[in-house]
Amino acid sequence: MSQTKSIDELVDNLSTKNVTVYLLRALDSVVPGEWENLVGFENTIRAVTGETDKKTVKKIRDRALDLYSDRSLPYQQAMWIYQTVDNADSALGAAAMANKIGEKVGFLSFLNKLTPKADTVQTIDLAIKLVAELIAFSKMNGSAAIELDDFKAALSSYHHESLIRMAALVCVDGLVPLGPDFIMKVQSTLGGLNPSLLQQNSTFQNLSNLIPGGSAGDKLGFIGASFASVQGWMGNFVGSHHLTPQIFLGNLKQYVDIADDKLDYVAAFLDMTTNYFEHTGTQTVARRLIERAASEI
Amino acid sequence: MIFRRLRRILPAFLLAVLLLVTSCRAQDTSPYAKTQQESTQRGATPAVARKAEQGSSFNKFFPKSADGYQVVAAQEKKGFAEYKLNKGGKNVAMLSINDITSTPTAKDKYQNSTEKIAGYPAAEAPGKGTGILVNNRYQVKVASRDDSFTKNDRVAWLQKFNLSGLAQLK
Repeated sequence: MSQTKSIDELVDNLSTKNVTVYLLRALDSVVPGEWENLVGFENTIRAVTGETDKKTVKKIRDRALDLYSDRSLPYQQAMWIYQTVDNADSALGAAAMANKIGEKVGFLSFLNKLTPKADTVQTIDLAIKLVAELIAFSKMNGSAAIELDDFKAALSSYHHESLIRMAALVCVDGLVPLGPDFIMKVQSTLGGLNPSLLQQNSTFQNLSNLIPGGSAGDKLGFIGASFASVQGWMGNFVGSHHLTPQIFLGNLKQYVDIADDKLDYVAAFLDMTTNYFEHTGTQTVARRLIERAASEI
Repeated sequence: MIFRRLRRILPAFLLAVLLLVTSCRAQDTSPYAKTQQESTQRGATPAVARKAEQGSSFNKFFPKSADGYQVVAAQEKKGFAEYKLNKGGKNVAMLSINDITSTPTAKDKYQNSTEKIAGYPAAEAPGKGTGILVNNRYQVKVASRDDSFTKNDRVAWLQKFNLSGLAQLK
């Protein structure tokens, strides 16, 4: 799980223009002013701390790099979690960007490359991403155990890239592929799921050791409990922002040339061409490191 | 015969290899190259001192939510604990305590300052922050994350920590 790239390299290499960034910009209309695409480690230090003195910025950077490189601290593992849950096809993402129609990313020409996921598979994807967020959150907070109540309480004070990530989870992995009643659907699917189906999911296989529980059945129980504990937050989020698949897609249409009647394909397109968990996760890990480094020096 | 010829060719060959290898190594001119190299090496020095105080020991000294402000836990690790200070759902400041055993140069700013808050050495700190040093070991900081949160606010919130309790921590 240790990283070969340093955190400054990861933040320096974040994209400023790809389908992920377009998707996150579209979500900015849902939660205005929360997300700024912070790219470049020094730039992020200045934005997070407000610090402008070059020498101090360098001190913060040096300490942040030291903290990240120490594998006994949780930052590398959190980064690995955020990278692991995304399975975007980078070639398809690049092809989508290359195939722009005017200022919009073409979508229809990709239909033959896309396979919508079955609802059960999509449900597992959504639930595992949520558990990944919970585990990364707990690790970065320094909790010895994964506390659902702490996570639930913290969600209400999520901001910046963390809130946008959760908004993307709700829209891209919930509303668009599963429809407006996705919360009920996920809950009932998880309730009747055979643990062997979970074991076939590659993201689950990768994260399995980090999910509490001895057997796949226990882990499924934990995943179900995690979803149950945040479904209230998700319902409120959807309700308070009057979110529907159509509203979200209306925002996305500024950037992607999509078709309203092919929601399954839009979901598959976004799944294949974006890595929003990794992109915003990198920004979250960087923010946590920078906040700590600035406090410690 | 062959050996003698080899002896003549070998130094030239080795020199050519050496030149090739050194010319292929691009020089990293970034001011951070050294830190980056050190910090990504296997077995890099631990970032937190072994004898640093556990972050969980610091929790009880943080101020409680009051006057429309919410104090929300952010990070708690060996040698460090941090809380967000939110108002109206917005993050206005960060509150932290850290054991400077891991970052001894943090002490310098207090030694170069004549300012005191609640009787402890105080100084302006990186990232729009104000800090105090308790027992020459525990750094308590409040850093603004919104322009509405001024230095006066930072000083007021520093005094809301249980500083005398923290001073008892060995």
